[in-house]
Amino acid sequence: MAATLREEFTKGFWRTIPPFRLVLGLCPTLAVTTSGINGLGMGLATTFVLVFSNLFVSLLRRFIPTQVRIASFIVIIASFVVIVELVMQAYFYPLFKILGIFIPLIVVNCIILGRAEAFASKNGPVLSLADGLGIGLGFTLSLFVLGLIRELLGAGTLLEIPVMWASFAPFAFMLKPPGAFVALGILLAFMNLISQIQARKG
Amino acid sequence: MRDIIRMIVVLTLIGAASGLTLSVIHRVTAGPIEYQTIKFVKEPAVKKVLSGYDNDPILDREKITVGTDPRGNPIELTVFPAKKGGQTFAVAVEGTGKGFHGAIGVMVGISKEGVILDIGITSHSETPGIGSRVTGVEYTDRYKGLPAKKGVTVDAISGATYSSKGVVAAVNEAVSTVATFREEIF
Repeated sequence: MAATLREEFTKGFWRTIPPFRLVLGLCPTLAVTTSGINGLGMGLATTFVLVFSNLFVSLLRRFIPTQVRIASFIVIIASFVVIVELVMQAYFYPLFKILGIFIPLIVVNCIILGRAEAFASKNGPVLSLADGLGIGLGFTLSLFVLGLIRELLGAGTLLEIPVMWASFAPFAFMLKPPGAFVALGILLAFMNLISQIQARKG
Repeated sequence: MRDIIRMIVVLTLIGAASGLTLSVIHRVTAGPIEYQTIKFVKEPAVKKVLSGYDNDPILDREKITVGTDPRGNPIELTVFPAKKGGQTFAVAVEGTGKGFHGAIGVMVGISKEGVILDIGITSHSETPGIGSRVTGVEYTDRYKGLPAKKGVTVDAISGATYSSKGVVAAVNEAVSTVATFREEIF
């Protein structure tokens, strides 16, 4: 039990890290990662929704008839998204303004419905919590790293602190949508390289 | 048949539980959301259009009832007073006008003597680089010192006529509100 719990929690960090290994949830991944903080905020909002939707879907899995499961999952997910939206607006207004339309769009993030359908509807609440938390934190980590890279190259700052040398001319291109694809592609290639090296050693 | 009833019952229960939860959360967050909107959207505009006060116009904000909607509910407007020695000498009031892409919100500072001190755009969705030029100081400065009377007008920005008209309409709305509710405000 403890071993599977750990396994379900940690799989989201490398083996099935959502945007890189599954290449899912790309819309927020590419759109809001213009800085480390934005990526982190978006990731944590998604994690919150993922954890609670997994928990509730798992608790209600015997009660929901299979024919209407998708509709029920979406209602549960949408409720938590509205909660995140209201709480963010009330306590983190500047971040709410930046993320804007991408907060309500968490509803259609396929990672969340995917976990509800593929995992939480078949497993108990504790395992589902671990799964949601693991995948959510993996997603947050991906967005944070991608945001940091784009911020460093695109604006010459890390978490809004200037870190590059004085004559550094930022690649404004990295903050635009094509820059997001380029950064994502380079990260994917890098991760595949590490996996290959690991496979050769093993 | 039993299956169908079960589906209906389950979906209804889930929907009802969701609705109830959200209405509670909405109530709890309504106050903080209003405060945050005022702090991040209105405060910069209020600070721009008022000066020389020794109070906190945001904290001293007052709500006045400016009429009723078709259902009979009161329509409220928030007034930000600038005070010196406890005396209100100017106010900031928001008006809205129709721009090229929807409503433009304009905060207007009006002195007790009936002069427009300055204006600041609080919200707009005008075309970036074209209509959005109405938010620049080159344009908003044109309102400084005009008498706060009905029919305020300034030269429009060429290429941004509709946006300029929206701002003029918003300023006139704020001016007429202050004129109508002078007694209550000062």
